[in-house]
Amino acid sequence: MTDVTLRARLVRPFQTALPSVLSVALALAVCFLAIVASQGSLWVAARAYAEMAWGGFGDLPKLFAGADASALTRPWGETASKTALLTLTGLSVAVAFSVGLFNIGAQGQMMVGALSAAVLGGKLALPWPLHVAVCLAGAALAGAAYAEIAAALKLERGVHEVISTIMLNWIAVSLVENWLVVGPLRAQASGDNSISGTDEILASAQLPRLLGETSRLHAGILVAAALAVAVWYWLARTRYGFESRAVGLGPEAARAAGIPVAARVYQAMALSGALAGVAGAVLVMGTEHKFPATLGAPYGFDGIAISLIGQNHPLGVLASAALFGALRAGGTRMQLLGVHKSFPELIQGLALLFVAARLVWETLLSRFRREPAASATVEVPRA
Amino acid sequence: MLSVLEALVFSTLDYAPALVFAALGAVLSERSGVVNVGVEGMMRAGAFAAAVASLAVPTPLGVVCGMAAGAALAAVHGYLCIRWRSDQVVSGMALNLVALAGGTFLLEALWSPTGTPPIEQLHRWVLPGLDQVPLLRALSGHSSLTYLAAVLPFLFHFALFRTPVGLRVRAVGEKPAAAATLGLSVPALRYGCVVGSGLLAGLGGAALSTSTLDRFEHHMPAGLGFMAVAAMVFGRWTPLGAFGAAAFFALGNALRIGLASSAPGLVEVIPQGFLLTLPYALTLLVLAAQGKKGAAPAALGTPYQPEAR
Repeated sequence: MTDVTLRARLVRPFQTALPSVLSVALALAVCFLAIVASQGSLWVAARAYAEMAWGGFGDLPKLFAGADASALTRPWGETASKTALLTLTGLSVAVAFSVGLFNIGAQGQMMVGALSAAVLGGKLALPWPLHVAVCLAGAALAGAAYAEIAAALKLERGVHEVISTIMLNWIAVSLVENWLVVGPLRAQASGDNSISGTDEILASAQLPRLLGETSRLHAGILVAAALAVAVWYWLARTRYGFESRAVGLGPEAARAAGIPVAARVYQAMALSGALAGVAGAVLVMGTEHKFPATLGAPYGFDGIAISLIGQNHPLGVLASAALFGALRAGGTRMQLLGVHKSFPELIQGLALLFVAARLVWETLLSRFRREPAASATVEVPRA
Repeated sequence: MLSVLEALVFSTLDYAPALVFAALGAVLSERSGVVNVGVEGMMRAGAFAAAVASLAVPTPLGVVCGMAAGAALAAVHGYLCIRWRSDQVVSGMALNLVALAGGTFLLEALWSPTGTPPIEQLHRWVLPGLDQVPLLRALSGHSSLTYLAAVLPFLFHFALFRTPVGLRVRAVGEKPAAAATLGLSVPALRYGCVVGSGLLAGLGGAALSTSTLDRFEHHMPAGLGFMAVAAMVFGRWTPLGAFGAAAFFALGNALRIGLASSAPGLVEVIPQGFLLTLPYALTLLVLAAQGKKGAAPAALGTPYQPEAR
């Protein structure tokens, strides 16, 4: 390897990631000022950010004050379970982007995946490792099937996927949360009627805890990280992945080169839906142990933010999911200082807004470079 | 039976303005070629600002503040999409996330997590004479926004298809380069439409918090903005079509609530989830039936670059 290519290999990922890093930093700064303005105190804002960091990355002050290891493992568990979900929905969005589709439907696909995992986990009786695998596979299939509706509407009938996936999200919410989970699949009330959601899944379908009882760290993070690497390998190193990216960059050119465009779109959308479905399964099998009354958070929409902040690169998705997973886990501790726990979502939304303005960053950054920046603006497919 | 029908019409008319204004806003922006999936966020900003302002000033003035808030968010969208050629769907979704989390943050910081204190609702106008006639009296007793929502779509339709300004807006959405050769400013027209779209979406949000209800609640507008975008597509990007679709969705909603309270037996047979699904499933079916013809403006989603071919 020559000196020039080595330098390019080390420098280019950094240059690509720079707009995202700057956007996140700017969002953190703006939100810091928002706390200062609303609480009227620089000190409160600083403490809130410190709480967020300790709650997300591990409570170091408590550890030095003589607490046991749970001061570290408890926050790690919360961070890891949120990171796993954000990684999977982020990957789902990123894979759809690779063929030029904007999958806003990860939320709905995740919901049918979660429901499948809850049903398979509650009704089947299988030995431990097999049961987990069956639930994950069932959720992936359900999510994939749901995503293929949008792909078919796009390819056969020309319905724009942004519209169809928004509709499919609401259909999933209506059918799952407003019918199945409160109707046919509702947990049998045993005595008190306060149980919401479906029956609990069997112990053999639960993802194992990794760090004992004090931490909720479960194997979902391993599933998510492994899938991130697998998706990276698929996109960057296999023929199908290469062809999918070609379709995303220019379907006409891809077709002219002999790539079966429709087949690649169907495949990528199935993979995208499967990843969102697995996200639902990880939520059910790792954290909730049943389909709760509602999914709780718009993880599917978060996936859009995570994917774009991660520059639609599988490993970038993993990194941005880890950061925002930690911020969210820590965000609950800001509540004690009167800052709402949804605050990290504000940071995430602003960061996405700043990432959307990538041409601004490129213009600013090109002033600090010797050669003019190449106008590589086609990161996101046009809607 | 008559009273059930009356209640149905009344609740439709009460609920429809938010959806109608937001759908018209989406039409305005997309006709000029700028995708607007940020309607949801603009509605939220409008609902929040209107309710907060109405705590201090008369409610009609509060509604204007709501419109201004929607327009402010839309201006950010326009700046990113027009000046910096950002991806329009991404920018819209980012604004949705910011409005969702920002609204929750401000609500918590200023009042309680659930909602603002109650405000004085917009005046409800009783139409003299009409309020005595059976059935027709459902048309009476609404706020001015309901009556505005019944008139505005027709004015908008006329403006879009029968006036020079409307022609220019459509030209910019179909073929901006050709419009530019005639001396029109593509960015100026698009800015105007996007900000106007924010005004309308903000008005829709304000209708929720000042007319339908009497406060801002933490989950507002709970997906109504996305439904407005669906109404726009369903109505094939025309003001009257969007109006019809929005009214239909509002009727569907009133029907669902009405059926659940007046005919609980029916809900046992047809689960409520099915009824909730109806507007969305119908939209999908209609879109699939329309097929590839499509009705979207040709330049929708494409940033305008004067030097590009």
